[in-house]
Amino acid sequence: MRTFEEKWTAWLDGQLSGRELSEFEASLPDKAAAEIEKADAKKLGALLKSELGASALRNEEFFSHQLRERILRDSGTRFAEREARSRTWWTIPRLLWTGTASLAVFLIFTVFVIRDKNPAEESQYLTQILNARVDPVVSPNGTVSMFEAKQDRVTVLWTEGLQSLPADYAAK
Amino acid sequence: MQTEATLAQADVPDLDLVTRCQAGDTEAFDELVTRYRTRVFGMIYNMVHSEQDAWDLAQDSFLKAWKSIKRFRGRSSFYTWIYRIVMNVTIDWLRKKQIKGGGAEFDDTIQLREVEPASKTVPKAGALPHQSMERSEIRARIDKAIKQLSPEQRAVILMKEIEEMQYHEIAETLGCSIGTVMSRLFYARKKLQNLLRDVYENI
Repeated sequence: MRTFEEKWTAWLDGQLSGRELSEFEASLPDKAAAEIEKADAKKLGALLKSELGASALRNEEFFSHQLRERILRDSGTRFAEREARSRTWWTIPRLLWTGTASLAVFLIFTVFVIRDKNPAEESQYLTQILNARVDPVVSPNGTVSMFEAKQDRVTVLWTEGLQSLPADYAAK
Repeated sequence: MQTEATLAQADVPDLDLVTRCQAGDTEAFDELVTRYRTRVFGMIYNMVHSEQDAWDLAQDSFLKAWKSIKRFRGRSSFYTWIYRIVMNVTIDWLRKKQIKGGGAEFDDTIQLREVEPASKTVPKAGALPHQSMERSEIRARIDKAIKQLSPEQRAVILMKEIEEMQYHEIAETLGCSIGTVMSRLFYARKKLQNLLRDVYENI
């Protein structure tokens, strides 16, 4: 539903037609006065058009030149801002990467150390190479090892490559 | 001086130039500026009545257009789109100026209260001076009268009477309904008819 103002404006600009036009004109209390007012508004429009329509821009080329300079300056500033933003942006991931890598190394190290120190998984034997004297002439490839089971307090002496057992080592 | 390249650009449709602008072609934007700078400046000048301010506001409007041209989707003409920017920039500036100035050279409420919707604005018999006015005087009278309109009313009447834009184009430019445009136009005309009656009756 149009207001009176809207209908009046539409009528004045010749935008009313058909039934809407006839209804609006019929609703006017003084059609002759309204027509005078309409003509008056047309005169106003013509005055504005003739007096305001010729506001020329002087120094048109300078206007464009100044605008080009501003656009260039603005583009440069925006580029610099983007650069600055990207530099800042790279620092944060680098810090994150460094932090994450350090944490990972720490965790791996910790896991291995803990696992090594876990008694349940620890070998029951400790191997010691005895300073047993093996005659290299008699037994050139001879090795003597000792295994000690901690819990059972048992010691195993393991010899390999002995050609003969020295008389000193003979069990008594 | 126009080069062959600029002469060739003159036939390129606005939307093609806009597409090139969106790809970062400043020369295409330069061509659009050349096409619309006078109209844009004239429109702003008629609203602010200062050549220097109109120059600055036109510059700001075009710069803003360049910055946001990638967002132009071609749903309206480039002309309507640039006018929307121009109007936003200018109306904002007028509003800020009003706040800084601490008072209003225009007052919507007074204006709406003072103008009776059905009032007659036809000249009263015998009330008209019969001197012919100088052009500058006429211009000064018109400027003074327009200053008494709100920024939105100025925009509407100038777009309608000077630019001969359709209601829907004005509505699109100002981001309001067609009804609002018509209503603003009604009050703007009433007020200007009251203020300039003797001027247009004596030319």
